Amino acid sequence: MTMNLSGKTAVAGVGYRQFKRGTAPWPERGVLVRAIVDACDDAGFDPADIDGFVSYAGDHNEPVRLMPDLGTKELNWSAQVWGGGGGGIAGTFGLAASAILTGQAKAVIIYRALAEGNSGRLAAAVMAHHLNDHMVGVGMVAPAQACAMRAERLLDYHGVPRSVCEELVRASYFHGSRNPEATAYGKELDLAQFRTARWIAEPFRLFDCSRENDGAGALLMVSSEAARDLRKPPVKLLSVAQGTQKGWGDLLENDNIELFATGGFRGITDKLYKMAGLTPADIDVVQLYENFSAQGIASLIDHGFCTYENVAEVVRYENLIAPSGRLPVNTSGGNLAHGFVHGIGTAVEAIRCLRRESVNPVPGARTCLLAGGPGAPTVSSAIFGVD
Amino acid sequence: MARMVTGQLGAEGPYWDGLAKGRLVLPRCNGCGKWHWPAVWRCGDCGSWDHEWVEQPLAGTIFAWTRTHHRFAGTEGLALPYVTALVLLDAVPIRLNGLIEGSEEHLGIGAPVTGRTTFTQFGKDEIPSIRWMLA
Ligand SMILES: [Zn+2]
Repeated sequence: MTMNLSGKTAVAGVGYRQFKRGTAPWPERGVLVRAIVDACDDAGFDPADIDGFVSYAGDHNEPVRLMPDLGTKELNWSAQVWGGGGGGIAGTFGLAASAILTGQAKAVIIYRALAEGNSGRLAAAVMAHHLNDHMVGVGMVAPAQACAMRAERLLDYHGVPRSVCEELVRASYFHGSRNPEATAYGKELDLAQFRTARWIAEPFRLFDCSRENDGAGALLMVSSEAARDLRKPPVKLLSVAQGTQKGWGDLLENDNIELFATGGFRGITDKLYKMAGLTPADIDVVQLYENFSAQGIASLIDHGFCTYENVAEVVRYENLIAPSGRLPVNTSGGNLAHGFVHGIGTAVEAIRCLRRESVNPVPGARTCLLAGGPGAPTVSSAIFGVD
Repeated sequence: MARMVTGQLGAEGPYWDGLAKGRLVLPRCNGCGKWHWPAVWRCGDCGSWDHEWVEQPLAGTIFAWTRTHHRFAGTEGLALPYVTALVLLDAVPIRLNGLIEGSEEHLGIGAPVTGRTTFTQFGKDEIPSIRWMLA
């Protein structure tokens, strides 16, 4: 027996707290507890009734330690998606839905928290997960470098114009500059500065790279039925896919030749769209995890929004910005311009934009695709929708 | 003498032993002939546990590369900027990373390179590794 989980669970509340890196006013768990209670307040839900938790990327905050602050009565279920990077972010919704639909939990918090004082630099933590002598022996010690190498092949060998990276970054900053919560609030991208900023690892300059924040995000998920009784309109999980395919993964850069420069999503996107009964043309807005500009482009290609051939026609600044663009992307500013708490902000914005709560509204949007961290050995994506 | 950071993680022990002695050896499945990288104990294609490590010449073409300008922690032993190139070997369908030494004039995807083995300083460790030179 197979059961399609499409539409049967919903996000009922979101909470998000973000600070400049290294400046969180509380230890990591203190920030997280506040984000969880924010999500419950948003939904009109008693935090003590949360009975499940799921995170990704090796989050350090074990659910059982949250119980005294939340007043948790029963911890019935907890899990974490494998992987050191943001590849698992959307997969958390699939796990939560599975727990809810099989009766293992009733109300699940999806979360990620990060404070430099507790967990150190995120880039270092992600890399520690992957680090080995094959990499350090050749000076490859950061996600930026591993992604740069793939980006160079995407741009040079596969012929994706370098200008599309700039279009994506500009759109992110357009949205971020209008978002009071964003690091880029009030600051549109200075193109001259973007083009001459210091190199990090070619082809990436400074503004091609997401930069870490302290913070925490939490999303409350319940059955769609239970969500109807809560304060906010439910945002349903229409589909989720997580994993990888043969020829992609942790392969010492020996991924399949045609997959090497992708975001790694080609093995999961058919399942993603099929579960929702949708196609890329049905997606109204995209929240795109862009650790680096070119990986964001690769992800858009993988998810079927464009091809190597027509990417420059689709990934244009005017086309990517709300409210008028045909494919609004990262309406809060995304990881690049909103802030980077290991991508959880993109998940929060997926819910806000469908509830008409985004600071950059997309009129009439009914479907939102959340594309998880590209370039990770296992990746995940999800589609959300409102009736 | 090699001093490793993580050491052997999978089945690639003979690779490190070879590199430390100045030789590149790579594994071929004795069941189906497939070259495996990363190295495996069991061939996922044919199920064989029998692999032969075969010496290979250090020659190939650049598949991808990046030039690092930012001082990432741990790389203090390398002068900035430095180029890391992923090279597709001529003899077997395996790609190996190495630092580029010498002229970078002809750097680019598809450029032919030859290599040598050496050690890379990483903190207090000395990691057996490959240096590539552009033809
Ligand atoms: Zn075999």
